[in-house]
Amino acid sequence: MEDMLKTLMRRSFAASRLRNGIAALAIALTAVLFTAITTIVIGTMESFTLTMQMQKMSRSDGELRYMTAAQFEALRRSELIESAGLRMPVAYLDNALRHNIEFDVEDETQAALTFCMPTHGTVPSGPNEVVASDTALRSLGVEPEVGAEIEIVFSVRGQDYVLPMVVSGWYEALNSQISVMWASTAFRDSHPEIFRNTYREDHNMTGTYFSDFTVHSTVGLEENLRGLVRSLGGEPEDISAPDYLAAVVNRATNVQPSPFQTGAVIAFAVLFMLCGYLLIYNVFDIAVMQDIRRFGLYRTIGMSRRQVRMLINRQALWLSCAGIPVGLLAGFFVGRMTLPMIMGMVATEYRYLAAGVSPSPVIFLTAAALTGLTVFFSTRKPVRAAADTPPIEAFRYVESGGGRRTSRKSALGAGIPRLARFNLGRSRKRTCFIILSLMLCVVLLNCAGTAADSMDVEKETAFMIRTDFAVVNAVSSSNMKGFTRRAEALQKKTIADIAERPGVTGGTAVYKNTAEDANVTYDFGHSLTEEAYVDEYSGLTFAFDDVYNSYGLGDDGRMICNVYGIEEAVLSRMDLREGETDAHALYEKMSAGEGVLVGVHVDRRDMSLIPRLELIDVGETITVYKDGAPVMELPVLAKAALNGDDVEIGFTVNGPNVIGGDGLFLYLPAAVYETLYDVPSVYKYSFDVEEGYETEMTAFLEDYMEHVDTGINYLSAQTAREGAEGTRRMIRFVGGFVGLIFGLAGILNLMNTMITTILTRRHEFASMESVGMTRRQLTEMMVWEGLCYAAGACLSGLVLSVALNLTLVRRLVGSMWQFTFRFTLAPALLACTALLVISAAVPVFALRLFHKGSIVEQLRIAE
Amino acid sequence: MDIVRTQNLKKYFGKGSGQVRAVDGVDLCVEKGKLTAIIGASGSGKTTLLNLIGGLCQPTEGTVTVDGVDLGTLREDELTVFRRRKVGFVFQDYRLVPELTVRENILLPPALDGSLPDAVFFEELTGLLGLGEKLDCFPGQLSGGGQQCAAIARALITKPSIILADEPTGSFDLKTSQNVAGLLKMTTEICHQTLIMITHNPQIAQLADQVVHLQDGRIVK
Amino acid sequence: MECVLRAVGLKKYYGSGDTQVRALDGVDLEIEQGKFTAIIGTSGSGKSTLLNMLGGLDVPTEGSVQIDGTELAKLSGEQAAIFRRKKIGFVFQNYNLIPVLTAWENIVFPLSLDGQKPDLAFIMEVVKLLGLEGKSDTLPNNLSGGQQQRVAIARALASRPAIILADEPTGNLDSKTSDDVMGLLQMSSRTFRQTIVMITHNPEIAQRADRIVRIEDGRIVV
Repeated sequence: MEDMLKTLMRRSFAASRLRNGIAALAIALTAVLFTAITTIVIGTMESFTLTMQMQKMSRSDGELRYMTAAQFEALRRSELIESAGLRMPVAYLDNALRHNIEFDVEDETQAALTFCMPTHGTVPSGPNEVVASDTALRSLGVEPEVGAEIEIVFSVRGQDYVLPMVVSGWYEALNSQISVMWASTAFRDSHPEIFRNTYREDHNMTGTYFSDFTVHSTVGLEENLRGLVRSLGGEPEDISAPDYLAAVVNRATNVQPSPFQTGAVIAFAVLFMLCGYLLIYNVFDIAVMQDIRRFGLYRTIGMSRRQVRMLINRQALWLSCAGIPVGLLAGFFVGRMTLPMIMGMVATEYRYLAAGVSPSPVIFLTAAALTGLTVFFSTRKPVRAAADTPPIEAFRYVESGGGRRTSRKSALGAGIPRLARFNLGRSRKRTCFIILSLMLCVVLLNCAGTAADSMDVEKETAFMIRTDFAVVNAVSSSNMKGFTRRAEALQKKTIADIAERPGVTGGTAVYKNTAEDANVTYDFGHSLTEEAYVDEYSGLTFAFDDVYNSYGLGDDGRMICNVYGIEEAVLSRMDLREGETDAHALYEKMSAGEGVLVGVHVDRRDMSLIPRLELIDVGETITVYKDGAPVMELPVLAKAALNGDDVEIGFTVNGPNVIGGDGLFLYLPAAVYETLYDVPSVYKYSFDVEEGYETEMTAFLEDYMEHVDTGINYLSAQTAREGAEGTRRMIRFVGGFVGLIFGLAGILNLMNTMITTILTRRHEFASMESVGMTRRQLTEMMVWEGLCYAAGACLSGLVLSVALNLTLVRRLVGSMWQFTFRFTLAPALLACTALLVISAAVPVFALRLFHKGSIVEQLRIAE
Repeated sequence: MDIVRTQNLKKYFGKGSGQVRAVDGVDLCVEKGKLTAIIGASGSGKTTLLNLIGGLCQPTEGTVTVDGVDLGTLREDELTVFRRRKVGFVFQDYRLVPELTVRENILLPPALDGSLPDAVFFEELTGLLGLGEKLDCFPGQLSGGGQQCAAIARALITKPSIILADEPTGSFDLKTSQNVAGLLKMTTEICHQTLIMITHNPQIAQLADQVVHLQDGRIVK
Repeated sequence: MECVLRAVGLKKYYGSGDTQVRALDGVDLEIEQGKFTAIIGTSGSGKSTLLNMLGGLDVPTEGSVQIDGTELAKLSGEQAAIFRRKKIGFVFQNYNLIPVLTAWENIVFPLSLDGQKPDLAFIMEVVKLLGLEGKSDTLPNNLSGGQQQRVAIARALASRPAIILADEPTGNLDSKTSDDVMGLLQMSSRTFRQTIVMITHNPEIAQRADRIVRIEDGRIVV
């Protein structure tokens, strides 16, 4: 029995090559979709993880700080820990120009985890050997090469050290701002006085042990770390405790996909499954329909349901074996090619981006499994139909509309368009399927189009920058850093070089207070809590108010605030809301010492002032303290709505966050600022350029950044715009891609149906031609049929597009501030036009290919 | 002895005013080994009656007993097995599987059962029907008459209880009709089969031992 | 009486050499207007091939067919189709109705292809004659075989063609219905003075025609 069934399967399979080809194609296409998305997902995760690790310069699972030697040893022995590196920070070198060099004692494990292993030369062994980055060595005045001799200068606990060292190896820097230079434990052993552990007394970290480590399992890492710290005898949470031991999980390594991302991926997977289902179901449905007589025969002569099911399932299996591998391969390449594009659109802030994906078995297995699942689901109904159709019905099977309508009123004859329409009624289900997948194409394309069009590029740009260009210290372009130190101020030479470039107009420098300006503080009667914590990055102490706004505190325990010294031109660009709203008048008053401008953050969706941050009203007075004594009284003259450019630059906020915190944002004339602050530091230089000078300036700045002042970065309105445009492009791309897939599926279904129609209605066509239908009229009829499908899809697609856009899309878009809802029907109309054209073209070609033979031959074909 | 017996057999399609009463109370007895012809006008219910006897559809009322088994008591899968082993079908348009050879077509029903047929019987049967040289051809290569002979062999190969033939000579001209009908009668006699045949050709009907005349779903004398 | 159809020296050969099949081997035929002609022959005699030639559905190897003065072989595919719907009516053994159209729509189908407005009075007469009143709005699969064939005949009659060609019109019908249909064909021929040519293998059926033409081995025999 097995042999006979196998023979039957094989032969009938081989006899329908075209149908098999289409089925395999449908399965392959589904596999392509799944593989592409799996590749992109895994590739994105891989790339992001690596990038963020490199950004943070560590691929460990976590880091511990401030340990004693004994604690470090205990750490090494802990069960939780897989491997622990040794790191003893010494100090930042003082003699490095424009590059921060952190000098540590490390071991190889640590170096490997933090990307410091030398690519040239060897690890240090002797007490005077070091490994450093190429940028670090250049900033010390030597070319990176093994054996180079350098001098390092640093101070620990007030003691200065100048030591000659030899480069035993070097590596390419990941980061232009900062890199690590490390020596071996031999250095530690030969300088015991540097490495005295005085942490308990003065919280000085030199002499303590740090460690980047990896664990066996990252499950519950936070909890475990706290437990670990306690087991080592340390205090994990209270910073001020003498035995405080910092334990930090490395977020860069343990990248958790946000719920949004996970949701998006699941949504896509479901979408693709639906698309695949529509495609594959239709193919098999038609196949079973074509063979329904045959199945009826099998059932009549005694083939059991199980045997019939096996017949079809086996064929589906063979087709999957043919289609899936092809699809996997194609999908992988599609995914790999689009990955950089997607990452480029998604991550515009990362300068060093590692975008790549390796062909991991996870990708292929997942995609194959998903495809197989889809094939399984799509074939259930057709299989059941074949197996369960009672033999007797199969014999009389002629698709004529389900037989439900027995009559219809007709006064006139049926013209060709009407005939075409009636033909669509032969198989309502199939008609619905085709219309559904085509309609989805239209709807998806339009939703994506509306969303993309709603992307308000100008709004986003306007938030990020108010001028054509702004130059800042590179720290301001990272949201993990920000402008906090005097040393990060822009150099006078840089500003001068830029200012004298042709086309530069309205250049202004902006002052900002730093962590070192903790002697200037402000009070306006706002009560603060006792709770305080020290921010690691700036070193300032922070307190809260009763609504949990945070405030940086100065030397005298009062608020340090975020204070800016600006010129009138800068003021005139700001968004004044309350009080004196005339910029010129305001500037004059402020210059006369009559008061100050207070800035408030906004809700970006409607640019309204955030109530929680409106700490003070126009008319109230702020007292300025310097070195503990009151020096000025500043009434609030006006309030301004702040954008990213007013706060730091673009979307960076970390600088002000770790200086003044939520605390007042004060804007003073530059002259007044200079009287208050001992060392006024320029954090930004903003300027416009005349028409036509943008490209030149961009090139100049790029070159300047690379070769002259490597510490700066810039933002231009153009790059800001490009960033936003990038997002818009991505929406268009993804939406377009998915919509296209659905369109393709619908068209494939259409082609399949048309071809099948031509083949099964051969006899009917022949009899129509015998009573006088010309070839052209036959083509006309088929074209009308195609157009009917398309028309159905277009109409329902347009209606649904309008409905969805005005409800769902508007709601979605409204919740994101970068968008301003803008409705468009253009993509839908475009898609409809394309669909109409294609639906009219398909039958023409199908007829030409498949409607062959003379009328006589076709009439003779026995059913 | 009666190999087929129907009692008050009824088959109605649909309801209400549009109801079609294809078979409207038929009591039929068919003796084993005999050739019964069912004749009647188009729409008289012949095909439906045949289908009921063959277990291809279930009656609305009444019973069909074949070889002592009441078909109404059989489940769907049991009916399938019944058809496979106990009934041979011959259709007007032969209904051979085009991708299988003549030999494979004939051996399909026993193959479905997982059993091997009697090789001697196979040779005899195909010899009788003039298929000896054509066993490895495909149906498309045979003439209409040849294909029908193959179909007849397929019907007989499992040595079923009854052979049901629905207009077996309908698509042939007179000469071929007579040939095929003659072969059908001969082989069923040699194999001791019972043949129930639908025809509207009075000359073919004359070959039968018993003629049943159906009109509007009932037997008329 | 004028000649509606004239066939001269019709030959249809398939293949060549030893295995050549001569379906038609020199057929001359003349059909008079208004007559009901039956062409009778056994299976393989060439009658179907002859009908196909006469209807312009197939092209002869040699010879010519003229209907109403028009030489069929000279028509292109498109022209032949147009000619057919104006001048020739077909009735097939398996009716060949369009399943998605009602009986009425099927009947006027050739006319609507031609863009003509149907002569309603005439068609109503045909419908009445064929006993199809009340069935106009029914779809074919709800009609019996006999009824479907009657619709097919009405379709053939509707355009008042020069000639109706019927290929075994009663082949799928039982004797009583066959009888009815033959009667209708006869009546149509007389009532509408319609020329009908029918092929069959059944001598009894053939008797109903005005004239019997015998064909054997591709030739007309007397």
